[in-house]
Parts: sequence; structure tokens; C-alpha cells
Amino acid sequence: MTDLTPMTALGAQAPAQLRAGALTITENMGLALASLSLRDAPAPIPFGLTLPGPGAWVGGGGVAAFWSGPGQWMIESEGRAESGFAAALAAEAPGCAITEQTDGWTAFEIDGPPEAIRALLEKLVNIDAAGFAPGQATRTGLHHMGTFLIRRAEDRLAVIGMRSLAAALWHALTETAKRQGETA
Amino acid sequence: MLIPHPLLGLRDAQEFTYLGDAALLDRPDPADADAFADYVYLRDNPAGVHRELWFHEQGDRSWLVVTRDTVTHEILGAELARDVKLKGGAA
Repeated sequence: MTDLTPMTALGAQAPAQLRAGALTITENMGLALASLSLRDAPAPIPFGLTLPGPGAWVGGGGVAAFWSGPGQWMIESEGRAESGFAAALAAEAPGCAITEQTDGWTAFEIDGPPEAIRALLEKLVNIDAAGFAPGQATRTGLHHMGTFLIRRAEDRLAVIGMRSLAAALWHALTETAKRQGETA
Repeated sequence: MLIPHPLLGLRDAQEFTYLGDAALLDRPDPADADAFADYVYLRDNPAGVHRELWFHEQGDRSWLVVTRDTVTHEILGAELARDVKLKGGAA
């Protein structure tokens, strides 16, 4: 069988990481994603997770879920990108429409002090940066790209964007962080 | 311009795309050719309060019925188009 070499969304062998000013931006290669749509099924409790309401994100037990639209969620799991996560989720959510999403997206995790994350949000997206508290997640436009933002903690923000635009998203995030670092 | 999304709160109008008059929710039976031609081609162009369809394209992808004053651009309210339709139409 052909011996294929895996590579990241940015075309490298290892996940990208950049430190700029107070922020560290890291490509998250291991994040498994699958969407869950209710259709006519009652709301499931996949992996013991109560699905959150509009604009919210909840995590626990190695999986997390955020609301992506009425009757629709994205379920994520750390370190399970190569594990067939969608099939595992389908077994937990009978009657729901489950779609594998891992390969369609690329995730960047941004760590840093809350004020630096807030400054980055203010520069990049038209959402209420001050009100974007831990446990919130939303989809919005970032440099004309549709992206999901998740505030995992006070000092951690995840940006999930289209995989084919990974380089453009990486450029937008890193250039903004670098300039922020120069002026801080 | 900010649109008060019924689920997500105030959101920037740049995240939305505009379709037009919310009367489009009330689609007549295509068998009635005259009524259907009016539905497809005729639009009111009011100066004042207007109910219109907006799509949250860069957000949660829901359709909203936004009530807007076309003279002042003041937004008077927004509801999910789904709820409007289930209540019996745009009227």
C-alpha cells in the first residue's frame, strides 16, 4: 500500500505555533469535529453532554459542544481527529443527522491574558469583544471568512475556520497578533 | 447598523444579506397565474416602516423578518422568519 505522509492544514509536518507579544497561537491538529442536527429527533445527551443554548459552548469528559444554529450543534473532541469521531457520536445521538466535519475545518488555539485576547477580538471581528465571556461561542465573519469563535476560558480563545483557507486565517491571526505585540 | 437577532442579540449588519419584502413568505399557489406573476414581479417600495427578510449568512444562517423604517434606517424589531411563518405568514 502507498505510504502516505500526513500533513497539516498549513502544509507542514508539525502543527504551527507562533508567539507574538502576549499571545501564543497554536494549530490544533487533533481536534475532531462532527455536526449534529436534530431534525425531528428529541435532543440527545451525547457523551453525557447537555447541548447548550444559542451562543453557548459546554465541555466535559473530553468532548465539548457549541450551538451553531437552531436545532444544530458542532461537537468537538480533543485528540480524536483520526478516530472516526462522527461514528462514535452517531451511536450517542439516535435519530439525529450527524456529519463528519473534522477535515473541513482547521482550528487555532490562542492563549494569552484576557486583555490581549480582547484586543485581538476588537481588531478582527464585529462582535461584542468585552461581552464574549468563557462558555460563549459564535460564528462570525473574520477577514470575510466565516469562522467559529469559542471562548474556552478567560485566557483561551479558539478560532475554527475553513480548512482550505487555513493559510489566510493563519496570516490574519498572526499578523494582527504581531502588530498588537509591537504596540503593546 | 446593528440587527437585534432574537437568539444572539445585537449583531453587525455586515453579517447579514438582504433579500427583500417579507411578503415573500406568503407564496401563492402557482396555479393562479396572475397572483403568482404579481408575487414574482411586483414589490411595494414604501417610505416608512417596512418588513423585510434578512439572512444571517455569516452567523447562524437563520432567516429573520426585520422591521425597519426605510426613511430613518431605524430597526424596530426582528423575529425568526420560521416563527413568523408558523404564526401564519408575513402579514
